[in-house]
Amino acid sequence: MNTPQSIQPSPNALVVGGGIAGLQAALDLADQGHRVLIVERRPSIGGTMIGLSKVFPTLDCASCITTPRMSAAAHHPNIQILTSTEVKAIASASGADSGAKSGGNSGGNSGGNSGGGHAVTLLHHPTFVNADKCIGCRLCEYACTSEYPDAFEQDLGAIRAIAVPFTNAIPQKAVLDPRFCSTCGACARVCPTDAIEYDQQPTTLTIQVPVVIVASGFQLNSLTLKPQYHAASSRNIISRLTMERLFSPHGPFGRVLRPSDGKIPDSVAFVQCAGSRDQSIGVPYCSRVCCMYAIKQAMLLSGALPVADITIYYMDIRAFGKGYEQFYQNARAMGINFVRAKVARIEPGDHDDLNVHIESVDEGGPPQQRRHDLVVLAQGMVPQWDPAAQTPLQLGADGFVAVPDPLAPCRTNHPGVFVAGTAAGPADIVDTIAQAGAAAMEAGRFLRALSPAPAALAPAPAGESYALV
Amino acid sequence: MPSSDTQPVAQPTPVRDLRIGVYICRCGGNISDVVDVEQVAQASRHLPGVAVARIHTFMCSDPGQQAISEDIQKEKLDRVVVASCTPFLHELTFRGAVARGGLNPYLYEHVNIREQCSWAHKHDPAGATAKATRLIAAAVGKLHHVRPLDQVHLPNHRKALVIGGGIAGLKAAADLAARGIPVLLVEASDRLGGRLNDWGRVFPSEQPARDLVARLVDQVRQEARIEILLQSQLTAVTGFIGNFQATITGPLGPAGQAHTTQATVGVIIVATGFAPYVPRDGEFLYRQSPRVVTLPDFIRGLGEADPQAPSLLWQGRAVRSVAFIHCVGSRQLDGVHEPQPDGRINNYCSRVCCTTTLQQALAVKRQFPGVEVFDLHQDIRTYGRGHEDYYIQASQAGVVFFRYHGDEPPVVQVDPADPDAALRLQFKDYLTWGEELILPVDLVVLSVGMTPGNALVGDGDHSLAQMLKIPTGEDRFYQEIHPKLRPVEVSVNGVLLAGAAQGPMNIQEALSAAGAAAAKASAMFVKDDVELHPFIAAVDPELCEGTGQCLTQCEYEGALQLVEQEIAGQTVRRAQVNPGLCVGCGACAAVCPHRAINVNGWTVDQYDAMVDGLVADLAQPAAVA
Repeated sequence: MNTPQSIQPSPNALVVGGGIAGLQAALDLADQGHRVLIVERRPSIGGTMIGLSKVFPTLDCASCITTPRMSAAAHHPNIQILTSTEVKAIASASGADSGAKSGGNSGGNSGGNSGGGHAVTLLHHPTFVNADKCIGCRLCEYACTSEYPDAFEQDLGAIRAIAVPFTNAIPQKAVLDPRFCSTCGACARVCPTDAIEYDQQPTTLTIQVPVVIVASGFQLNSLTLKPQYHAASSRNIISRLTMERLFSPHGPFGRVLRPSDGKIPDSVAFVQCAGSRDQSIGVPYCSRVCCMYAIKQAMLLSGALPVADITIYYMDIRAFGKGYEQFYQNARAMGINFVRAKVARIEPGDHDDLNVHIESVDEGGPPQQRRHDLVVLAQGMVPQWDPAAQTPLQLGADGFVAVPDPLAPCRTNHPGVFVAGTAAGPADIVDTIAQAGAAAMEAGRFLRALSPAPAALAPAPAGESYALV
Repeated sequence: MPSSDTQPVAQPTPVRDLRIGVYICRCGGNISDVVDVEQVAQASRHLPGVAVARIHTFMCSDPGQQAISEDIQKEKLDRVVVASCTPFLHELTFRGAVARGGLNPYLYEHVNIREQCSWAHKHDPAGATAKATRLIAAAVGKLHHVRPLDQVHLPNHRKALVIGGGIAGLKAAADLAARGIPVLLVEASDRLGGRLNDWGRVFPSEQPARDLVARLVDQVRQEARIEILLQSQLTAVTGFIGNFQATITGPLGPAGQAHTTQATVGVIIVATGFAPYVPRDGEFLYRQSPRVVTLPDFIRGLGEADPQAPSLLWQGRAVRSVAFIHCVGSRQLDGVHEPQPDGRINNYCSRVCCTTTLQQALAVKRQFPGVEVFDLHQDIRTYGRGHEDYYIQASQAGVVFFRYHGDEPPVVQVDPADPDAALRLQFKDYLTWGEELILPVDLVVLSVGMTPGNALVGDGDHSLAQMLKIPTGEDRFYQEIHPKLRPVEVSVNGVLLAGAAQGPMNIQEALSAAGAAAAKASAMFVKDDVELHPFIAAVDPELCEGTGQCLTQCEYEGALQLVEQEIAGQTVRRAQVNPGLCVGCGACAAVCPHRAINVNGWTVDQYDAMVDGLVADLAQPAAVA
């Protein structure tokens, strides 16, 4: 794995984000012979997908299909990965001055000489562990005395202040979070390779690169965005990503329990469009994946808790993808309740339960309230990163990166900058994969136009052909 | 048929003093929640030659793979077994890890203890554990008879065949040519652009479809590297990745002779698109009333309508009201909808019709505000970027929405009293709690779904699916290799999918898929040769007696032949394998009376060893055969 000091000079392309979109775009570009640098703000690549339990409509375990992509990128001779690093700015370079400008303590980065293109300013956050020395033995983690809520487990589990981020993280390097470190020195005492460096500083570096692929992904809008849902006053109103961790066999509890009291829920509600298709909160668009993952989660729940009563409150079921409608019909046949209603209010009730207020469109009748143990809100997808201030990229009215040419769905307004995955609007995994491939193709075309000589390819090691079965 | 018992059989010489590493995956809990992995590891350590048996939470993760590579170095392993999920997912992953450790990647066996153990025997943990142990024992047994193999290297013809000149085919061709890769673009009709030629405006950009087509066709026509064959079809294909021999038949010439073109290409991109669903005669009165039309017909008609006209005319008659019925030919239900001619129902969603319908509904309202527009849907699926705006704007423009249930489709009737009067549309509306409504409408537009392009379902053995051996799904569209992670690849190496041939998709999605397919093809041409797996038949000339029995079983033309060879001064006939055409099916090995022909990596001896491993008394470590 790479540190700012060890980045090989002059990548052909820089990919912003190491989620599934960024990984796939990087792989498809690297396989065409181009040198790619993936920049990921978190300490591990894998994005949102690595935190999911299973994926629709195949019900494949998400880890099982994400880790090989992560691993393929990590081992690809044409790919470098820089984690714990944010993109601060993308500027069009003049072309003549193409040496990398390093700040902080980064020292000897020699930068690129690709000529022109973009100057991408990166901020590498200190991890307080020397990544070249760390061997991932986790002795520091075991010795650490300070614990805090684990964001990877949606704050349901705990993680030590110094830890390898999660089981299948790449890189397998410990990271220290200074917010929770008690500076007791235990980690430094046990580290067999003297890798702990309490005095690390942020590093700024600028990379010259002809092509940038923005794959910065999405985040969910706030659980408490709609005050009438009272998510702030009940721990049993949870995010869909929290539900994913509850399903995960290696998640915080290893089974589905409701957070407030550890009760096994016997009545679970999925409230759809709780952060999208709602002009009152400024998100009029559809978040595209929520119907399918709610159906998937309902199916997994009915497997995990066969007697539980499961209800999905929805406006329209948008099962539009390949095999999705059949998946939806299977869920109906399994006895999952589909109730067409836009939930008006959710009120905390007795025993930590929740009362969901609805008016059923199909059944008619007066407004009613229904009791549930656990409520999963389908929050909307909003951009993870707002590039407008620091880059020449234009955004659409929805805040996602604009793609002005209908014939090139991955091309931004700025030449040489492409976009893939949910950075360009909500998308499910398969659509993201296709977009990432297309972005890699657009980037490949652009690079070829700059330099028509065939790209030199570093040979892949034997057996590395992950793409062939 | 002579049985192998009565014939001299080559005695396998097992490799002795092996150091085998066995790696058992918990798969988070997918395996270890059922299979007792500790017990399996313990039992594995007693198997002959096993030096190391380890358990990992995710073998496929980087640390899991690292453990294999490191053990090969540190523990001097010379064979590796990973017991995890199906080999479809991770066999190659672990061969890679083995290679990184410095070992030949084929000194590896994959054991599936998830799909075949923990998932299949969820309610029998002891049984699942025992089965996992025995499957590992079989793999270990086999490894005693496994030797290093090398991939087959064959020349890679740097040219792509793109089948279909619609938007997806054009985009794939343009992308590849821009990367310097020659393309042969074959289109069955007499013009490029496909369905988009007849479309109005595309959503959400609202650009005229024909402008987009024109731009793309210009790009393609200006590319010297793209050769275009119109009115042409692929009529035969042989070969394999890197080396397909394609025969393309063109239109009949003046002499009545069809012109054929032969081409050798490295990759084939299938972009045969879709065909709009054609309602059966009488389905919603289609073809029985001139006032029932499909959405593509309506788009064409509206495009031709005089924008200055005071009112909407259809075939000369004023239209005061239009009703759009969604999901015609899509989302069909067993027992409700009549099956298609092949006996199946179209139970899938066609994805694009909701937004297209609302786009048209809005266009009618904008152009002819006086026309009443009704929309009968099950769910409104305006999922994509900019799609929901059509729904919002159509509602604001006064389009009236009704919701029907899939098992109670609307009924279209002619007024019995007055056949010239408006059609009667009868349905239960679930936006008003199931109220029975009868709506008089002048025009009914059927929002028909997508079905696979004609080339796909057409003439039996000569259909593309048959020729290229591409599997199709229950929905009759081409089946990708993995619906989540590998949407443009199929199980035939060197064949890729672009656009709606794979399933319903809109223009932008088809363009993305085409780009993704082009990226995969472009990556394939980075190397001058193609590497194929070594699991193909091989002949032992010492054992072969030239009986030719293998040839009688071989289904792959040219894969096997008898050739004359000089052995010890005598001319004899011996079987010979063409590595490019053999698929490694093993039919030949099954009939050879002398065990002279075998599939590399899956020899009969290796099967023997696996069976011995399966039935060995595991308490007593089995001796090496």
